[in-house]
Amino acid sequence: MAGDAVKARNGSMVAYDGRMSFKKMTGGGEGLRGMVTRRITGEQMEVMEVAGHGTCWFADRASEVNLVRLNGEKLFVEASNLLCAEASLRTGTSFTGLRGASQGNGLFTTTVEGHGRAALLSDGPAVVLRVSHGMPLQVDPGAYVAHTGDLRQQFQTGISWRTAVGEGSGESFQIRFEGEGLVYVQPSERNTIGGQL
Amino acid sequence: MNHFQGPAGGGPVVHDAHSLPVDDNVNPYAFSVDLKGEWFLQKGKMIAYYGRIDFQGLGAGPLDRLVAANFHSPLHTSDWVVASGQGRMVLADRAFDVNSYDLTDGNLTIRSGNLLAFQPGLALKQSIVPGFLTLLGTGKFIASSNGPVHFVEPPLRVDPQALVGWADCPSPCHHYDHGYLRGVMGGIRQLTGLGGVSGEEHQYEFAGAGTVLLQSSETVVPVVDGPSGAGQQAAAHGPAGMQLPGQLGDLQRRFGL
Repeated sequence: MAGDAVKARNGSMVAYDGRMSFKKMTGGGEGLRGMVTRRITGEQMEVMEVAGHGTCWFADRASEVNLVRLNGEKLFVEASNLLCAEASLRTGTSFTGLRGASQGNGLFTTTVEGHGRAALLSDGPAVVLRVSHGMPLQVDPGAYVAHTGDLRQQFQTGISWRTAVGEGSGESFQIRFEGEGLVYVQPSERNTIGGQL
Repeated sequence: MNHFQGPAGGGPVVHDAHSLPVDDNVNPYAFSVDLKGEWFLQKGKMIAYYGRIDFQGLGAGPLDRLVAANFHSPLHTSDWVVASGQGRMVLADRAFDVNSYDLTDGNLTIRSGNLLAFQPGLALKQSIVPGFLTLLGTGKFIASSNGPVHFVEPPLRVDPQALVGWADCPSPCHHYDHGYLRGVMGGIRQLTGLGGVSGEEHQYEFAGAGTVLLQSSETVVPVVDGPSGAGQQAAAHGPAGMQLPGQLGDLQRRFGL
């Protein structure tokens, strides 16, 4: 870091050298509109701006940290999985629909776009899976971390009467990704409502 | 040329349906299965897949024959599913280490929480040791462990929490170290608990020829009660994450209580 700034999740700094200043950014540093959007959507993100010269280390509960470089694409990530992003990246909120609900993360997600790098948190190193035309990918909602690129998400269920009598497969819900892009999957499943069915 | 790349230089490897390894590890915590036909999986261990794959609970009608031939553990019926179809699927277990093992006309007993998946060439049976499952036959299975697995040959005594499983040797027996209870001080310890214990008074003892699998941690991989179940709570409360046979948990779960 040389005089530039980084947006990071509040309290994630573990060490730094050089000179740094830490400033809380109300409403995710997205201005008044962003603040209101986040308040309404419940996709809360406590961030701080770190600026200065030197090296700053970020970490969160020994979760795995994955770097993603963005060249103008949009990264969709849950606020809880975003550790920090370069200040050159814009963050925002977008609607995810049923997919978000299935993960227990609400109906909205955080987007990061622009040029620069962002750091994602995952439980265990994320596996990066490519989706291209004719090669759709199904992901367990509990293992999904983030995705980039031009992807359509579709929520698919395998619920039948068996689920109702407790003979479900435990894999009843999947997010189906189609299009062109990359999906980040963690080798662990969060607790989801759909996970038990 | 695709411009969706990871960080330039030394970034994470991007996998797709063709570059995912065939029946091998993607990284130490995730395993890719090239599915052609059927595999048994523990519920909730599939994190992603390409291709056409169906997941069905073991009670499902079309699977009757497969279950009758390969699955003999009524206690765990509700924890397992069969994946059938064509494609590559990625399996993982709460970011624990995952490894595959090949069994050739052999037998292996493993802690039930550690077993993730197995090929139908193997038959799963409930071990007479509570909390353990035995695999018989030929095929591949996938197991998780808290830290890498070590293979050791008997005779030896192992810490109960570090034991993952054993192959080809007779079942272990308990070994209690009573040496520390001798003498006046030992008597005081035994009666009052004063003076403390070393924590290594109890071991499993293996004898005979075979292989013992140990994990490099004394925290047992907890049994999952469904992906969001009590298994993780048990993990938080202590290493005793095993569900005892005869507990109502399974039935209650089955009836959705």
